[in-house]
Amino acid sequence: MRRILRLLFPLTVVAASLVTAMVAAPPSFGVRGSMTVADAAAMMQKTAVVASLLAIWMFAAVALTLLSGREIRYSSIEMRASALHCFALGLVAVTSFALTAIVLSYLIPYHVGVPLLFVLGVIAILTKIYGTVAVFHAVGTLVAGSRTREQLARRRWLRGDLAMVVVGVIVLGALRLIPIVGPIIWAVASVFGIGTALATKFGRREPWFLAWRALQS
Amino acid sequence: MTDDACKRYLEDPEANAAHLQTCAECRAMSAALATKTDGELPEIAVDKLPLAPWEGASHRPWPLVLGATAIVVAIALALAGAAGMSPRHLAESSLASMDAIRGLLRNAAESVRAASLGWQVVFGVAFVVFNGLLVILLRRAPRGIDA
Repeated sequence: MRRILRLLFPLTVVAASLVTAMVAAPPSFGVRGSMTVADAAAMMQKTAVVASLLAIWMFAAVALTLLSGREIRYSSIEMRASALHCFALGLVAVTSFALTAIVLSYLIPYHVGVPLLFVLGVIAILTKIYGTVAVFHAVGTLVAGSRTREQLARRRWLRGDLAMVVVGVIVLGALRLIPIVGPIIWAVASVFGIGTALATKFGRREPWFLAWRALQS
Repeated sequence: MTDDACKRYLEDPEANAAHLQTCAECRAMSAALATKTDGELPEIAVDKLPLAPWEGASHRPWPLVLGATAIVVAIALALAGAAGMSPRHLAESSLASMDAIRGLLRNAAESVRAASLGWQVVFGVAFVVFNGLLVILLRRAPRGIDA
């Protein structure tokens, strides 16, 4: 199992590179006969945009992990401990955000809708960013995390929250570069992330609602 | 040695300590218990315990972080250069996905507003159901560390 996980990273990178090269290759390669130079240029531009977004994600992930590494770790643990709950919560939350945005758009003519939509957008973006960094940590830990204390002691670089997040960005980023499948994987990871961020209250592990208890005489 | 004396000793060993001098069975039992309770606790092999998530978590491998970031930035710049895109064009293209989501939401809102009353009621019910479901799911306590 450990050996398989160790092989996963280089294989992912190689697979992503091969598929990207095959899809973006010029028509003379014969992989996609109908692709024109304009198509290849568009594909190249798309790949450049994805790569630049990955660079931004790398900066955001490192900054957020430095600021609140413990919270990110708690969320990552939660995601691995109850993945199904996080995914279900993420799906419901994304749908709820979309429905709420549509409802708030009804209020735009009354001037209340714009600030409410702005607040909803900010909350959604913050949730997405935090959750995605937690997913990076979880993926990094699954792929490159230490299993034993000896292994941890032997390692110089591949240990700690920061390293796990960086490995997660690279693995998910490599997967993201695969055409068609990459965006789907990224979207699923985002749903997981949003669910995890909300399930752990951004890693604070506090209840969202106070429990109501009737007064006992 | 009698059964009654043994029973009295078992009920109150301290008050009937003299019984041990006359009863070999009780003496053996007492010695065995003393070995169990007063003996040294079995050593806990810390290295055999599972690795806690926080162990080594604060380690900051800067060469790895800086190296990986530099490689990702270099790849992004190289691809942008090969595609003939300026940083401004890159930023605009990156924000295009946000515009797409905004456009999608705007279209959905217009469609709902233009829909029949029945569909608007269905939309209202879906709004209440999904937000109720969200609240129910949020009430569940996280279990990560205790799992």
